[in-house]
Amino acid sequence: MNAQTTLPSPRSAARAVLETAGIYAVAAALLVAGALVSPDFLTAENLLSILSGVALLGIVACGMAFVTYSGNMADLSLPATMAFSGIIAVASLSLGLVPALLLGMLAGLAIGAMNGLVVGKLNANPILWTLAVAFFMEGFMRFTWSNNQLYPEIEPGTPGAAFIGMFRMRAGPVPLIVLVMIALFAVAHFVMTRTRFGRESRLAGSSRAAARSSGIRVSRVVFFNFLAAAFAASVAGIFLTSMNKLGVFYLGQGYDFKAVTAVVIGGVMLSGGRGHIPGVFGGVLVIGLLTNILTFLGITAFRQNIVTGLVFIGVVGFQQYQLRARGKDYA
Amino acid sequence: MSYGGTIGQALVMEAVSKRYPGTLAVDRVDLDVNAGEVHALMGENGAGKSTLMKILSGAFNDYSGLIRIGGQTVTLHSPSEAKEHGVGMVHQELSLARPLSIAENVLAGRLPANRWGLIQRKALFDEARRWLEYVGLALDPRQAVGEISPHEAQLVEIAKVLSNKPCILVLDEPTSSLSREETARLFDIIRDLKRRGLAIIYISHHLPEVFEIADRVTVLRDGRNTGTLSIEEATPRKLVQMMAGQTIDEFYAARHPEIGDTVLRAVRLTRYGYFHDVSFALRRGETLGLAGLSGSGRTELARSLCGLDPVHYGTVSLRDGIIEPGDYARSVSKGLVYLTEDRKADGLFLRLPVSQNLVAALTARHATLGVCRPDKDSAVAHRLFTALHIVAPSLEADTGTLSGGNQQKVLLAKWLATKPHVLLLDEPTRGVDVTAKRQIHEAIMTLTGQGTAVLLISSDLPELVGMSDRVLVMRQGRLIGEMEREELSEEAVLLAANGHYAFRAPDAAASNAGRGAVRTTASGQEGEHS
Repeated sequence: MNAQTTLPSPRSAARAVLETAGIYAVAAALLVAGALVSPDFLTAENLLSILSGVALLGIVACGMAFVTYSGNMADLSLPATMAFSGIIAVASLSLGLVPALLLGMLAGLAIGAMNGLVVGKLNANPILWTLAVAFFMEGFMRFTWSNNQLYPEIEPGTPGAAFIGMFRMRAGPVPLIVLVMIALFAVAHFVMTRTRFGRESRLAGSSRAAARSSGIRVSRVVFFNFLAAAFAASVAGIFLTSMNKLGVFYLGQGYDFKAVTAVVIGGVMLSGGRGHIPGVFGGVLVIGLLTNILTFLGITAFRQNIVTGLVFIGVVGFQQYQLRARGKDYA
Repeated sequence: MSYGGTIGQALVMEAVSKRYPGTLAVDRVDLDVNAGEVHALMGENGAGKSTLMKILSGAFNDYSGLIRIGGQTVTLHSPSEAKEHGVGMVHQELSLARPLSIAENVLAGRLPANRWGLIQRKALFDEARRWLEYVGLALDPRQAVGEISPHEAQLVEIAKVLSNKPCILVLDEPTSSLSREETARLFDIIRDLKRRGLAIIYISHHLPEVFEIADRVTVLRDGRNTGTLSIEEATPRKLVQMMAGQTIDEFYAARHPEIGDTVLRAVRLTRYGYFHDVSFALRRGETLGLAGLSGSGRTELARSLCGLDPVHYGTVSLRDGIIEPGDYARSVSKGLVYLTEDRKADGLFLRLPVSQNLVAALTARHATLGVCRPDKDSAVAHRLFTALHIVAPSLEADTGTLSGGNQQKVLLAKWLATKPHVLLLDEPTRGVDVTAKRQIHEAIMTLTGQGTAVLLISSDLPELVGMSDRVLVMRQGRLIGEMEREELSEEAVLLAANGHYAFRAPDAAASNAGRGAVRTTASGQEGEHS
């Protein structure tokens, strides 16, 4: 039974706080652990570097959350979407910065629209379909640009230089990318909790059949969920390209799994219909803190991946255990 | 001769209790069942029947009390222990693997294998065929379960349990998906098993069935045993009183529908393979019953009417507009909605709170420029929660934790919230207890009183006869006739659904319906009473 039986009608915000308390407790514990590991850990400088270190992941996870929430598990084509939007942006820099950014976004959104159409309308399996798209896009990008990396011009004053400067822009001490991440999380939270689209995503994620027979256009809802994910991935992809000063097919690699990890440890159920954006933000923070602490401990990137993988396995196992304990209607 | 090897008391349960967090689901229940006896177990949803039977089938390791089987005290802490002691359970929800053959399902767990571990197909099919014949199914055991109909699957499930040779057999609402003939066949099987000395526990909501098949009846209410009667002492009124703790009255008679103009009209509607050339009209404030056996095309007709399933020929018009086939979302926005027969499959969001289920069909209506209006949602949810007497810890309780009757009320409330012009109800009270059923009926009557037209599909004859102003009879995908309120009786509907009845021509029926509330002389003609 529900723990909040005596509350008259807790609003979604109250529920969100309750359900996301866990991940923030973990984040707090990591803060304490980090402080014990190194005196340099709890400095404003380090904490800000943690935030900017996870900003790209945060943006991707924010979009991925929509796909998971609406019952479509994960969009595995997001890394390819990131790389593609970055390449197209770099390739169109000769048109000026703003047109290049718009075209880059459009390129990414095109992939999202295709995914949304195929999964929503034709009921393709989201995992298999987006895996195939990722594979196809990688081949397509390698073929089209003959395996080459694309470098923007970096003469000062050119659109290329402005493009590269984007990732390095700051508002005071805070990097632009961190502000973008926070803004996207805020918008995503609003969309998920307060809009018709968010409500219908949750219903479709809880039971696609019941949503359809409640008069909800499920295929349309699924379409926009994939579009949202592609939008976030395109933003992240363009920043990632700006950071690396080059566009290339492999740029987004690894973001698929890390984003799903953030989403799932943030409490969004892989089975759909449950979870909250603040939880996803918590998940991103936990990954950032964990990575940072492991770096302080002198653990290399590859071994950090092992830890991230183990965390994911642990959390998914725990969620499944909880669902089973709730009974068959949840499993 | 004796099948289970016991004479006298096959099963004794003494002071058996089971506590769930927060509730005592079964409270010191005593129950004894004799070998060669059919013992009916009755009670409303949530009375503790299913929990008691789950204890017997080994679902819990934390019940208290004493259970003796064949005179021996046993502990039933796991399903395998229950099976070893000869408890066989036929659940209401089937546990068959749809892609596998009937034979593999029937003999699951003890497939005949040779010493290399390979399945001996001939032995498998031969033995399965014997069990199928025993339950009266002339099916090929090699066929996949997914290809057979739900009522055939129900009998396969029974064959599966019987093939384990139980000495105590529990049947949980076994007739809910069976036709009349199949039910009769099942009762023959039960009588045969009884002669062979099995102890049979028969769970049912259907009083006539209980009087037909049971030797004794035990009634549970709120987790307690409210009494065991021999069938000679029992009367329907007495049993209902024991179940509900209150008498039922003739509240159907209080209906005074005000029937207006036609709101929904189907013309020559056809979906190949399901229903053909169906024409009828439904009027404002009217409750139109749709009778027919399972498989007659009733559900398919309703689903196509509202746009959930395709239409191959013909038109549906709602008030003055044509309903686009295959666009259910638009039908809902125009006020033509369908209450599904299977609340778990495509009715409710079981993992979401009650409050969100209640407003699930209002996402479009309760949004201003795409932004939700939680204030409106919350007002509607509170109003419906009270109006339908939904019993739940709170509006925020997960819907899957509610009892079947309350889930069904939530499902109905979801559609009441949309204030529809036409409500298509498919088995609105299936597997629901007496009180919840009455509350659902009251809600439907209130709705028709406000002018909503209702198409009622129901296998529950008292419900169909009590609630309907008119009944259309469907058989093998065609409308074969129509009965007015005065001609309605359970027997007449049943005979008609089985095709044993002479009718006015369906075309005449359809045009009569279109003319409005004025009744023609047709009902008095040529010996239409059975």
